[in-house]
Amino acid sequence: MAAPSVNVCVEAAIENPIQEIRYDGQEIHVTPLSMSENLSKLAHKINFFKDESEEKGKPTSEGERETDEEKVLAPFQPSLWPWDSVRNKLKSALTEISVLYDVLNIVKQKHYMVTDPVSQDAPELKAPLQMVAKKKSLLVVCQILNAGADWLKRVQAEMGSNTPDNFLWELLQLRKHWRLKKVHNTILGELSYKSAGSRFWQGGTFEVLKTSDLAAEGEATNKKSSLDVSIPSELEGVAYIQVEVKSVPDLMDLTSATLKMPASLGAVSPDAYWQQKLETAHNVLFCKELFAQLAREAVQVKGTTPHMVVGNQILTNVFPGIQLSIVLCHYTGKEKKVNLSPPKLDHNHVLEHSLHQLLRKVHGNNLNTSPPHPANAMLGMSKRRRLAGPRAHSRQDLLQMAHSESILEQILRQTKHAVLRLRSMHVIDQLATSLQDPLICAHWSCLNNSLESSVRVSITSYCYETNRTPLILIIGIDTIRVVVREGRTCVLSFEENELRDFLQWQICQHHAQSVQSLAKLHGWQVLSVIVSSGHGDIEPYGTTSTVMLASPKGNIILAFHSSPVSGSKLSVKKIDTAVESNISPAVTASKWASLAGEFKEVNLNRLEGRNLVGKVDMLMARLTVMS
Amino acid sequence: MEGPALAPSLKNIAPQQEYLLQGSILDAHTDALLHRLRGLCDNAESSFETFNDYEAVYMLRNSSTTQQSQYVLFRVRHALDDPDAPDHIRYLGQAEMGDRSRPTLVRACLDVACSSNVREFLTEMGFRMDHDYVAKGIFFHKGRMKVLVYKIYRLIQPGSTDQKNLEQLGSSHLVELSVVAPLGQEQIGEDMKTFAEQLKPLVMLEKFDHRRLQ
Repeated sequence: MAAPSVNVCVEAAIENPIQEIRYDGQEIHVTPLSMSENLSKLAHKINFFKDESEEKGKPTSEGERETDEEKVLAPFQPSLWPWDSVRNKLKSALTEISVLYDVLNIVKQKHYMVTDPVSQDAPELKAPLQMVAKKKSLLVVCQILNAGADWLKRVQAEMGSNTPDNFLWELLQLRKHWRLKKVHNTILGELSYKSAGSRFWQGGTFEVLKTSDLAAEGEATNKKSSLDVSIPSELEGVAYIQVEVKSVPDLMDLTSATLKMPASLGAVSPDAYWQQKLETAHNVLFCKELFAQLAREAVQVKGTTPHMVVGNQILTNVFPGIQLSIVLCHYTGKEKKVNLSPPKLDHNHVLEHSLHQLLRKVHGNNLNTSPPHPANAMLGMSKRRRLAGPRAHSRQDLLQMAHSESILEQILRQTKHAVLRLRSMHVIDQLATSLQDPLICAHWSCLNNSLESSVRVSITSYCYETNRTPLILIIGIDTIRVVVREGRTCVLSFEENELRDFLQWQICQHHAQSVQSLAKLHGWQVLSVIVSSGHGDIEPYGTTSTVMLASPKGNIILAFHSSPVSGSKLSVKKIDTAVESNISPAVTASKWASLAGEFKEVNLNRLEGRNLVGKVDMLMARLTVMS
Repeated sequence: MEGPALAPSLKNIAPQQEYLLQGSILDAHTDALLHRLRGLCDNAESSFETFNDYEAVYMLRNSSTTQQSQYVLFRVRHALDDPDAPDHIRYLGQAEMGDRSRPTLVRACLDVACSSNVREFLTEMGFRMDHDYVAKGIFFHKGRMKVLVYKIYRLIQPGSTDQKNLEQLGSSHLVELSVVAPLGQEQIGEDMKTFAEQLKPLVMLEKFDHRRLQ
């Protein structure tokens, strides 16, 4: 007894799918496919290659031609009919519905079969088992309620106590200094310098915790603050950049600088106040960025001397024999207790500070570009760069504009200056202490910058201060420019010997100058002054200055030689009036006849007087009287 | 001699696209918006960066074709408050609204700094001035996003940017969020969308199709 056959009609929906709705409400429909398009669409769904590989095995050109024919035939094969599965499902559904229909008919007619409700026995209940189960569930409920009540009590207690150390108040304080945000149930803070213009890859996210929660979990107790922060493990501990300028023999062990932690910079104690914890972590991040930047530059910069990056240390040459080492010291407190003997920590605080300043400047420049004028101009260009187009700058100008000095180069230049300044200071001080005779006085200018400083040196003799030889030394990056008395300048290199030689030569000149001025006072006549005389033995450095003087009457000649190496010499010659008759007509005055001849050297050490100028003064006074 | 050498380098210049969102705010509430922007943007610690620009739009009609509607617009902008800054000539392409999924309006954008005699040059070429205005306002930036909050002034007498000659248009400020970037950086749109979300109750930044406004 089957149900009457049902016709199932399968057809495409009348409405076409909407492609777009315009703003005025007009709808654009997809145009329906035509019969041939539909056919080709269906044909595309059939995998021809599958049949080919199974049946024919080899895809020859003949085979391909055959498949082309099959492509057309394929849709008519019943097994590949696209609606086949739908038809099968509909068929089975129809069968089931027919069976159900038959069963219902049979039941309804009650001729052959009667259906009765079946009574089911209730399952036997065991009272003690039920008791246990109920008890258990009550216990669970009780626990949940208790935990909730505890939490509420705690919150109430916190709300009640308006002491400044409650969590919310501290959170407010924290919020004033650090960036915080709430993610689900946790409060996250940001330690990184990204908002200040940093482009460092490493982030610094810390989590804000409530100590009362921790106490409830039994983790920590008796904390002073009700707020705690958890800092990522890579930012824990203390870090700083150690900058050291050292001479080469020290450099032999490259790994020596891995851990040189001064005692004052220990690890942060775990129960430190959150502000202190955050500040140290902040500093660690900064030092890491600074070192990463320097290391990158050290590898990239193609200088005359290569920079070395070894582990956490950057080594670079400042001057021959002098190296700059920059070390990232990160002490997390987990390292083994290495022998922390701080032997000679000549850590250069000024250069470390400069490094920090330089990186901050980079950050600042990243953030604060010059504002565009007019407002639709390109963002992030310098003012000069904007003008490059309209003013038709050359390629050279543009290249110069693009060149920016790296932090490493800048710090290297600062180091050079610092080393050179120290060296010059050392040389001047050494000369001033070792030489008693002319007094050397150095006045360092307090107005200097990190790349240039100046010092005024004056050379005088005790008791004869009116005669002064002033010098100005302008110390640059790797040269020293000296301005001497007449405004002449000369440039010295970074070698300290050059400065020493130069100063000694100036001392000689000072002596010659003093003798000359004495002559004026005593009424002597200056016959000749040669600042750099070529006479005499060749000196290792410097040149001899000579002065020749004639007494007021012209019968005594004094010759003064001052040499930086062999010292000062003084010679005297007395002229007999008898010789005068022999002079040639070319000699106009008698004093000129006595330039050459027998000079007697005066032993300067035996002369009376406090210093050289004093001795010469004494001698001249005596000779003036004698003549 | 420079000509042939320059030609290949010009081809390498990537076409720039402007991603743009616009909105407006009533004058009375501008302070609140400025305050908010100051907190969100990069140049927070310094004072407001103001600008005062004069823009003249030049039009060249295509006379060779019969269609009179074909024309090219060039916008020449000049900073009134910074006389040293170069003039800027700007060409904006057809705005692409895209579908709903695209967060911003995108249009081709050519921006060139040029010398101050560009106006005469354009006039010589056959351009004539279509309209001009003065835009006065404040500039913010966050990363490469540029936020302009400004007011447009009509010139009573065209060409003269004297203070007395200006007449403000409407009682609200225009807010523009834009990024000029090379072609095909779709990420920017998302960034701009999130930034615009942060200004939501004060100003609704949306993509406007200017063709529909006319």
